[in-house]
Amino acid sequence: MERPEAKLAEFGSAVREALAAETETAEEIRQARAGFLHEFAARHGAHAGWGHRGTANRWRILLLAGATVAGAVALWTYTDRPISFQVDASGAPGKTGDLVYGAPQGLVPLRFSEGSSVILHESTRLRVLATDPRGARMLIEDGTVDASIVSARIGKKHWNFEAGPFQVQVTGTRFTLSYRALDQSFALATHEGQVVVSGACLDAPTPVAAGSRIDLTCLARRAPPTQTASLSALPLPGHASADPVASSGKPTRNAQTWRELLATGRLQEAVHAAERADFDRVCQTAGAKDLLALADAARLFARPSRAVTALRVLRQRFPSSAEASTAAFALGRIAFEQKRAYPEAVDWFATYLREQPSGPLHGDCVGRLMEARLRAGDQSGAHLDAEQYLRRFPEGPYASEARGILAK
Amino acid sequence: MLTPLTFVGDEHALLQALRDGHPGAAAVFYDQHAAHVSRTLRSALGADEEIPDLLQEVFIRAIDGIGKLREIDRIGGWLTTIAIFVARAQIRRRARRSWLRTFSPEHAGPQHLIQPSSEARAALREVYDVLGQIPVDERMAFALRYIEGMTLPDAAEACETSLATLKRRLSRAEKRFLEAASKRPVLEHWLQEGTRWNVQKRS
Repeated sequence: MERPEAKLAEFGSAVREALAAETETAEEIRQARAGFLHEFAARHGAHAGWGHRGTANRWRILLLAGATVAGAVALWTYTDRPISFQVDASGAPGKTGDLVYGAPQGLVPLRFSEGSSVILHESTRLRVLATDPRGARMLIEDGTVDASIVSARIGKKHWNFEAGPFQVQVTGTRFTLSYRALDQSFALATHEGQVVVSGACLDAPTPVAAGSRIDLTCLARRAPPTQTASLSALPLPGHASADPVASSGKPTRNAQTWRELLATGRLQEAVHAAERADFDRVCQTAGAKDLLALADAARLFARPSRAVTALRVLRQRFPSSAEASTAAFALGRIAFEQKRAYPEAVDWFATYLREQPSGPLHGDCVGRLMEARLRAGDQSGAHLDAEQYLRRFPEGPYASEARGILAK
Repeated sequence: MLTPLTFVGDEHALLQALRDGHPGAAAVFYDQHAAHVSRTLRSALGADEEIPDLLQEVFIRAIDGIGKLREIDRIGGWLTTIAIFVARAQIRRRARRSWLRTFSPEHAGPQHLIQPSSEARAALREVYDVLGQIPVDERMAFALRYIEGMTLPDAAEACETSLATLKRRLSRAEKRFLEAASKRPVLEHWLQEGTRWNVQKRS
């Protein structure tokens, strides 16, 4: 009989994984960071005194007096209003926090009031999180942007671009940045000036000067960043990063089956084990729940074709089951996120809703269906989905997108 | 917008720089430990919309008490202890709001929000509903040991208690959790089925 501690440990691991997936951890950390640094600065500024820093403080006061005079003179050229921005050629004013989509074909420009611009490539997702007189904070959720940030005439510019675990600090430069959320692949090429890239898996902030590019991924945690002197056209980071299992030098766990590896949360190893055991044969013999778990693991670790195989076999072998409907939803996600095949994604999401009209994924599915229809060019369908979504989930995670669709 | 000066130095220099008020050191300190503190708060509280404020509070308390920290290699455990303290205060605040909600719903304030639009979310909500009914000392022991995955000695240190006391709390928490879970089909199902959660994240 299994000890309760072992069962609870496994359960706790699943809770931890689910919490990480269900919460916007990076956003929470970003939100708190600015507040903490501001508070830190306020506390230490308030405590600065003549004490042991006497001479330094006297100079600071003299400089401050001089700066005040200079500031008054410079004031006519300086505005303390936050930078504003417009989206695309229509000139529609942008709002901080809203999602900006790159069109499926063509480019979408964001133009800022002080002269900077950020061009979204196709299917890019971006948010302008905040603006102030000296810059803006941008979040690249997925995709590629070309940024041209003008230098300030007075003082310094402070622009920050965030992409997954990476941050780019910019003061006045031109660069192209690509980020792919699927495998946390990041690439940046600087055309003019210099930027500084930092991130959770970087040992230290890394400058990238004009004419250079840097390619990074945090999934292969120990792999150092590569920086090249030659600047070539920057493709979307689409190649899977070096397999951390193979590159880590650690021995693979041949003794454990893919089922055992899945059960203990070692998802990538589980996929490898299933492949070694003949993936197609595994799909023909595994149960429905196992197939779902295997497909999820394959999808998370950049094996979409394996995920599709597992999910399609599940639907063939276990038709009319709840797992088959969940597989339809998962196939929709793969079509949307990885294949960018939006009409196919619409079909799969609609299949789930037809098979499970009151299923546990209903809200998520309606929201995703709405997005997929929009991307597929079905404006009227997306409009109906948005109305349906807001009727049932007025405060749900897709509510702001739904309102945006209805406002058009 | 705050863009601090860059700090460069080892951990001992970082500690001294924090005491001196170097803004770049504050950024480095935060960036090194924020993910771990955020995870501890979430393990203890679940998905709470006030996590960013609580995260900020942990680091501000840490800075206020930085003069007392002598061993830089214990900073992770020290921050966990502060995070547990802040989480406990949040649980007490929630309990007061819950009482307030009974009599005056318009003053209830922000609530713990998990919208059950997926299986994993529904199960998470159940987990934290059950934990909410367990005495807070036992709840913390359970969350640190099983959800955060800490060793018993580390969990005891984070809770500022002896190993023996932690084990007693943990034993009582396990019994309460398993008994409550047996009456909730979703939790019972997940406990029996293992780790095959259908975890889905919005793109």
